[in-house]
Amino acid sequence: MNEPAKYEEALAQLETIVRKMENNEYTIDELTAQLKTAQQLIKLCRDKLTKTEAELLEEQTKGQ
Amino acid sequence: MSDNRYTLRQLNMRVRDAIEMQMPDEYWVEAELSECRERSGHCYMELIEKDEQTNTPVARASAKCWRQTWMVMQPHFERVTGQPLHAGLKVLLRVYAQYHEAYGFSWIVTDIDPTYTIGDMARKRQEIIRQLKEEGVFDLQRELHIPLFAQRIAVISAAGAAGYGDFCRQLEDNEYGFKFEVTLFPAIMQGEQVEKSIIDALNQIYSVECRTESVEFATASESEQPSVAVANSTLYTLNSKFDCVVIIRGGGATADLSGFDTLALAENVAQFPIPIITGIGHDRDESILDMVSNTRVKTPTAAATLLIDNLRQVLERLNNAQQRISMAGHIIIDARHRIEMLQQRLSTAIERIMTNQKHRLSQIELLLQGYDPQLLLRRGYSITLHHGHAVRDPQQLKAGDEIETRVEKGTIKSIVR
Repeated sequence: MNEPAKYEEALAQLETIVRKMENNEYTIDELTAQLKTAQQLIKLCRDKLTKTEAELLEEQTKGQ
Repeated sequence: MSDNRYTLRQLNMRVRDAIEMQMPDEYWVEAELSECRERSGHCYMELIEKDEQTNTPVARASAKCWRQTWMVMQPHFERVTGQPLHAGLKVLLRVYAQYHEAYGFSWIVTDIDPTYTIGDMARKRQEIIRQLKEEGVFDLQRELHIPLFAQRIAVISAAGAAGYGDFCRQLEDNEYGFKFEVTLFPAIMQGEQVEKSIIDALNQIYSVECRTESVEFATASESEQPSVAVANSTLYTLNSKFDCVVIIRGGGATADLSGFDTLALAENVAQFPIPIITGIGHDRDESILDMVSNTRVKTPTAAATLLIDNLRQVLERLNNAQQRISMAGHIIIDARHRIEMLQQRLSTAIERIMTNQKHRLSQIELLLQGYDPQLLLRRGYSITLHHGHAVRDPQQLKAGDEIETRVEKGTIKSIVR
């Protein structure tokens, strides 16, 4: 899997996988690999969100 | 010889006669007032003319304005010029000569042209402005910024002035509950002492600033932290005693602003390191003090409003930023939600795919089961094998061949006859 640089890219990639999954576009052999990619993307997105949130909170506290 | 003797009075009378004969008219004369005093309703002045280059007097005479004239002239002059007659002013007077045998020579003033004084004041102001610009200090104050959190205010005002009271009340009663720390540096805000008095007050404010700084430096050098140099510069700005200086006057009877139009005062204000706000209350032309200050407003109340408004703007910016940050928080929450939805869809899809596949497999399995020979045997059918191959046609066999018959519970071996 190519590591997507941006959150939006990761999200778009994730959405594509889910859509294809829902449309039965993957063979059983592909399935595990795609699921693994999807989980990695989810983790990446989540981490990015958590990090951003922490940063925002820090900025907010600074201002008070 | 003795025939030519006079008493002093006699001689003076002759001078008087001569003057009255020779100079019976009234004249307009330009002169500078070097003294100006009112006594028993009359005004006594000293007129002077100075050499423009050397500034030394080249002519001098006393002048008097009798009560009847003075009563009309003084208010008229003050109304037009915004200040009472006082020493240092250039005036254009209508006079006639009077020589009194007992009191000596005097010009008797019958009228004044205040526009001449205004013109002269304007010329002087222009000269001061030109000089300030030449020195490069005219715009210095405007390069400073009133700090965002301007709360520590040094005020230069007459101590008991109504304007100062207004200013303090306005600050205290602000609707946002902002706290201001006001320190008064009393000064004389009217008349000839204005210049010196305000400059003294500015120096006092400046020395308080310096004292704070040196205290900070001393503290810093006592500690042996290697980061002292960095700490110093931060402390300097943080502990600077005052955020801005406010020069106010107001509530006084007259609008004498002449003291505010001097070069020395302008230079001091222009080069002061803290932003100065002026609210010296007048409708006439800007004073030079106003021109060189950081911000000018008309009244002490307006100065207070400006400071409150400054803090209000800061508060608004903070609130705004806070709101936008919390909006960013919402974006995060939405994004989380979206990811969760995707994950949900993903596992639903996977589950469905797996269920479908399993279903398909079991169908195939069932189908296959239909072909299981064991099933036929159970039903009572049998399979006959010859050399491991199913016998489908008796013609395949000949007598003596050994065949195997499979039935549900076992195998029967036979010989063909």
